[in-house]
Amino acid sequence: MSALAEILFGGLFQGSLYAMMAVGLALVWTTIGVFNFSHGVFMMLGAYVAWQLVELGLPAAVAFPVAVVVMAGVGWILQASVVRPLIGRPNIVLVVVITTLAAGSLIENGALTIWGPRSKQIPALIDGNATIGGVGVSLHQIAIIVITPLILAALWMFLNRTRLGLALRAVAQNEDASHLVGLNVTALYGLAFAIAASLAGLAGIFMGGYRFMSPVMGSDPLLKALIVVVFGGISSISGPIFAAYLIGFFEAACSYYFGLYWTPALLFGVLILTLMVRPEGIFASRSRGLA
Amino acid sequence: MNPILTVESVTAGYGRVTVLHDISLEAGRFGNVGLFGPNGHGKTTLLRAISGLLKPKSGRILFDGQDVAGLSARAIVGTGLIHVPQGNRLFPDLSIADCMALGAYSSRARPHEAENREKVIKLFPKLAERWRQRVRTLSGGERQMVSIGTALMSHPRLLILDEPTLGLAPKIKDELCASVMDISRGGVPLIVVEQDIEFLLELTQQLYLVNHGAVATEIKPGESLDHGEIMSMYFGH
Ligand SMILES: Nc1ncnc2c1ncn2[C@@H]1O[C@H](COP(=O)(O)OP(=O)(O)O)[C@@H](O)[C@H]1O
Ligand SMILES: [Mg+2]
Repeated sequence: MSALAEILFGGLFQGSLYAMMAVGLALVWTTIGVFNFSHGVFMMLGAYVAWQLVELGLPAAVAFPVAVVVMAGVGWILQASVVRPLIGRPNIVLVVVITTLAAGSLIENGALTIWGPRSKQIPALIDGNATIGGVGVSLHQIAIIVITPLILAALWMFLNRTRLGLALRAVAQNEDASHLVGLNVTALYGLAFAIAASLAGLAGIFMGGYRFMSPVMGSDPLLKALIVVVFGGISSISGPIFAAYLIGFFEAACSYYFGLYWTPALLFGVLILTLMVRPEGIFASRSRGLA
Repeated sequence: MNPILTVESVTAGYGRVTVLHDISLEAGRFGNVGLFGPNGHGKTTLLRAISGLLKPKSGRILFDGQDVAGLSARAIVGTGLIHVPQGNRLFPDLSIADCMALGAYSSRARPHEAENREKVIKLFPKLAERWRQRVRTLSGGERQMVSIGTALMSHPRLLILDEPTLGLAPKIKDELCASVMDISRGGVPLIVVEQDIEFLLELTQQLYLVNHGAVATEIKPGESLDHGEIMSMYFGH
């Protein structure tokens, strides 16, 4: 009983964080057709901005939403500076890998300079602990497990039930046709990045509430998010969400039965197997579309 | 009548390749305009330059007196100049309903959304039956209907069609030609690129033969030619 509860809980929790990260990567890929390698840095920056605002005396209930909005702006600016100028180039996918990696590295070192290497922590969403099914869990983690699906559902509603969301899905499918119905394609690209960055920032705030933060805290989640989107298929929003939870459960089960040490190896084993069976799931098929 | 669209010495191309060489033409003085000519000679490129998908290197494009050369495609849609591109690739994973909503996206078209939707459904009743179906699941003819329907949702003052009947079976093609005639009778001026000369002769009052990125011949009303003469213009001088 307690084994099952532990795996279930661990899977839901990790899956939530992965989903928050992966959805942003997938959103940017489907709309613009590029991989954003500064996505992990968005996560880190969201956490540090929240920390700074709390340090300045803002209550968490204000600081966290403000940090998320700040991250939307950061995402927009990053898109305008290192992605938009390259749109239309034939080798854009590779070039953007390099420019976003470079921008991410600059921001990471900027954070190190501004905030220093000492680990920090931000307040939990909710303080306290509970015991469920014989497993001790923090209320912060439970809050994350509950809030994440709500946010993902809101994103889904936005994409599928609003005209602006429709426009984002349209740009994802056919850029020329989007221009010809009068969509502001550049603004929609900015919006995709802004949403992705806020979601990553929120994931950072979630993470900073139960683990120590450091300027490199985003690199492992970025790697995991990449695995999730590769595994789940990249051309939609729902694929990565399911994959995120699946991988969350897989990791939780692995670390329960085989230990934390073996988990990454097993995860990559599964990933490689997936790629062997469905190689077209990755870069080859660039069919894009948000659903 | 004043021309609604004037293309003045437009040069345009892709990268270092120049496709349009100083091309000039006028539309709307006599009615609908047809463009024809061999493949790969710049008809699509001209339409892309007109609708702002491609920035001309030089020249002017006057739409209702306003120079739109160099404006964004979005701004040009905002003036009511609407372009249905070649090949109806559209939005494969959106439904017909979604495409129609996108057609009415511009602030100019939004107030007319309901009225234009009625028109589209009246023109293409087949679309109503498949309203919630994804575009990728439609036949070629239906996809072309969605393309044209989306453009009508944009409340066009001038409608540009690039090879609307390309690749359609004869029966479907006839239906589509009839619908395009209906649109014209409804008062929307047209510029149509088409391989089917018979259709162009029926639909348009003025023809341009585009060859090597320039106008090789202009055929004005009263100078109507027969099919054979046009074929000889195509293939030899
Ligand atoms: N995206 C593009 N990039 C480079 N060259 C292009 C592109 N599109 C068309 N061309 C070239 O421009 C020329 C004119 O093409 P196009 O305007 O499509 O002709 P048409 O519509 O008359 O068949 C052709 O030689 C074609 O190869
Ligand atoms: Mg063409």
